[in-house]
Amino acid sequence: MGADKAGAWMADFAAQIHDNADMLTDLDRQIGDADHGSNMDRGMKAVAALAAADFPDSGAFLKKAGMTLVSTVGGASGPLYGTFLMRVGGAWPVEDSAEGIGVALRAGLEGIIQRGKAEVGDKTMVDALTPALVAYDAAAGEGTQAALDAAAKACAEGRDGTTPLVARKGRASYLGERSAGTQDPGATSVTMLIEAAARTLA
Amino acid sequence: MIGIVVVSHSRALAEAAVGLAEEMVAADARPAIRVAAGLDETTFGTDATAIAEAVTAVDSTDGVLVLLDLGSAILSAEMALEFVDPETAERVRISPAPLVEGLVAAVVTASTGATLTEVAAEAEGGLAAKVEHLGETTAPPGEAPSGAPDTASPGAVEGPATEVVVRNPHGLHARPAAALVSGLRGLDATVLLRNVTLGKGPADARSVGKVATLGLLPGHTLSATFSGPDADAARERFLGLAATDFGESGVATADVPTPAEPGPSSTADPSRTGRQVVLAPALVRGAAVDTASYSPGTATDEKGRLESAFAAVAAHVTELAATAGPQRGIFEAQEALLGDPYLADGLAADTASGSPATDAVRTRFAAVAADFDALTDPYLRERGQDIRSLERQVLLALMGTTEQAPSDTPHILVVDELDAATAAGLDPATTLGVVTTTGGATGHGVIVASSRGIPVLTGRSEAQGVAEGTLLGIDPGPGTLWLAPDAATQDTIRGLAESRNSEATAAATRAHDPALTTEGRRVLVEANIASLADATAGATAGADGSGLVRTEILFAHHVTGPNAATQAAALVEIGKALGAPITVRTWDPGGDKPLAFLETDGEANPMLGERGLRAMRRYPDVFAEQLRGIVAAAREVPVRVMFPMVTDPDEVVWARSVLTDVLAEHPDPPSLEVGIMVEVPAAALRADEFAPLVDFASIGTNDLAQYTTAVDRGNGRVAALSRPSSAIWALIFMTCTAFGDKPVAVCGDLASDPDLTATLVGLGVSELSVRPPVVALVKEAVRRV
Repeated sequence: MGADKAGAWMADFAAQIHDNADMLTDLDRQIGDADHGSNMDRGMKAVAALAAADFPDSGAFLKKAGMTLVSTVGGASGPLYGTFLMRVGGAWPVEDSAEGIGVALRAGLEGIIQRGKAEVGDKTMVDALTPALVAYDAAAGEGTQAALDAAAKACAEGRDGTTPLVARKGRASYLGERSAGTQDPGATSVTMLIEAAARTLA
Repeated sequence: MIGIVVVSHSRALAEAAVGLAEEMVAADARPAIRVAAGLDETTFGTDATAIAEAVTAVDSTDGVLVLLDLGSAILSAEMALEFVDPETAERVRISPAPLVEGLVAAVVTASTGATLTEVAAEAEGGLAAKVEHLGETTAPPGEAPSGAPDTASPGAVEGPATEVVVRNPHGLHARPAAALVSGLRGLDATVLLRNVTLGKGPADARSVGKVATLGLLPGHTLSATFSGPDADAARERFLGLAATDFGESGVATADVPTPAEPGPSSTADPSRTGRQVVLAPALVRGAAVDTASYSPGTATDEKGRLESAFAAVAAHVTELAATAGPQRGIFEAQEALLGDPYLADGLAADTASGSPATDAVRTRFAAVAADFDALTDPYLRERGQDIRSLERQVLLALMGTTEQAPSDTPHILVVDELDAATAAGLDPATTLGVVTTTGGATGHGVIVASSRGIPVLTGRSEAQGVAEGTLLGIDPGPGTLWLAPDAATQDTIRGLAESRNSEATAAATRAHDPALTTEGRRVLVEANIASLADATAGATAGADGSGLVRTEILFAHHVTGPNAATQAAALVEIGKALGAPITVRTWDPGGDKPLAFLETDGEANPMLGERGLRAMRRYPDVFAEQLRGIVAAAREVPVRVMFPMVTDPDEVVWARSVLTDVLAEHPDPPSLEVGIMVEVPAAALRADEFAPLVDFASIGTNDLAQYTTAVDRGNGRVAALSRPSSAIWALIFMTCTAFGDKPVAVCGDLASDPDLTATLVGLGVSELSVRPPVVALVKEAVRRV
């Protein structure tokens, strides 16, 4: 079994984060504390250093990846992404299936909502992930690839939709109305995560 | 002594704060303090695992107080509690106190040996001294800690929330949502709506799509916040709209389509009962609009074309709304969807960025439809078809065509889904029937078509891909669909159609005569009634009375239990409209029919829960008040009363005792026959125990079949297992035998099927209460027995 696909997913995401770290940090500079890109890059480098092949299955690997992010990211993305991956890992299906992966991703989103207490409309990664999973479930009947593609598309739309919103969670919420007009960094990076999934998991 | 953990993004900050606090107490009196701050000496960040280690290090049975700075410190600390020993986690408290002030107060208090609760309280009050000194009144001690963005944020300009409970029978679906959106239009105010019950939202009240996707069902709490110059006016209007249930007040019964019991069909032609057998070539519609030949122009062109297409469709929908009669609301909702600002903004953005108008329409409409499709409520989910209908019309307008009118030669229309606009445009003289391949039975289109007497078969996947012109036959009675029948079968169908047709016509001529079997036994054929309109329809159809007045639907729009006088007035009105005796069923809440004024507390299996009379044991006052209304009505019109969902004779003894008390309130009580519903198999099996307790029985075959076969009729995968069989016949026979000369009625769907009339009468049933349009047909069926 191993964790080849999950390993490829994390490697792809790590590369995306690394290539876009400056852009993410720049978004965060406008409405936060200018550390999202560098924090995530540090964390994902540590995740990429894990040997996926050494894990018995994808679930175990993703849980470890989540724990790694918790102790290496530093900002709010640590517990949020960490919770997401740990929950996804915990719910990962024994046999890969569109439905099973959907259930796992849903568990991850629920973890994020529970952890961050954000709602749709708060200008957070939840605004991108929620529609992504709705789209995923709607397309799950057509297979994992179709579902992930639909999710990635909806995720990107959700991300774009965060631009006009006023932040109600996290550091950006201190800016109030001034946070409108900037795309949310968390929604941006989580879209990279789902896009990476669409390239690797099916 | 409690332990203290200091969590901060900065190790230097945490260590300095600890140093400051420790100065306050002697070294030997200090509590154990650990710092979990920064990823290393210089890197800002928090780490849940480091916090967990720190908590474990200072833990004792006295507990641990965690003080922290902001942002991820809170998330990481909460997460850390999942990593530590659960027993430890139980005695850890995360303090909302400001870090420096809170820490100083905490260290000083802890050094005195105070409990965790006392230390936590002191820490939270750590701002008090500063507040008092500076004369600041906006942040009283214990409130507005520095890290509470919800109250501290300058973005929180929404104002206080106004909450109302949704009472519309189907929740805030497209029509009431449209009423809400249009009711608030023209005001300079931002209104944000949330579904408090589900924790969904906020949704902008300018968008029908957004409002409807809050998934507001009956009983859910809708909260609204208002901001902007006209906020107060918006709040007033919102409350006014809520008071009338967003335009559905008092129309609940007329407006609630139930698949099992379509409303009265307003058909002038007596043969058009919606049950007619038809045979005609297929006319296939609804295939995807072919936009391959569309040639996009510049962004400005596309914007203009889109606007013209929207205007054309809006004009058409407005016209339909003006002529649609009772179904007007469906088209008003579509008008509102066309004016949805989110849809318009999305389309504008797409065309501005170079998308052809056709692509933009497909993408944006699909997104809105997907929102509906994702809802769990089947009624709301089917509203997605309204969106697809609009999408189709807009695409056709962009292509410069309109929906090709169905030809004037008679045909059976085959569509994926039957949308309301299509249904409203059908000519019953040429469109003899409709077959949908994917649509469900509660779509707007089905409601519109049925009310016009056009038979519809829904969800028939076998008709998918049927070629234009293929001969089709449908028999809506048993739900038979013939695909390309051979010559012999065609003759059979024609024969069936003819006999069905002449039966209907012949039946209509004798509709008002009593129905006697060939042996001369009178069988009462009555109408099931859920509204005054049903009563009028029943009278026209020749009903001998009503074997079932569904009070929970009649009064479904009442938020508070209607008093006896209100109930009596409604029942008298129905009795007079029908001009014949009525059988009133007492409240039958629960299962699929919640009552707004009775709380239901989320049973795991409501169909096996506190339904019907069972619920009345918990609400005896509500029950007594209903009986008062029924008794009052019985003084003016002939009334019988019956109790639903009885299982044990003790329940009937109890219900009769309440009735006896109510009758005793009158010096001269009216006569009132009392019956039970037989819908639980146990009631049929123990019919001989019930018979001495009551005057009659009425068999609810829908529930009886469901409980006997363990099948949910709404579940297409198993529904066929609940079809009539000897199991049901045996239970009906047992009931009839036990009741001897006392009347036994059937008021479930089986009674409305003339093909089963002979069986039911043969088993000993003496009354059949049916859908008003089939009264005459069932009477004829009785005459053949």
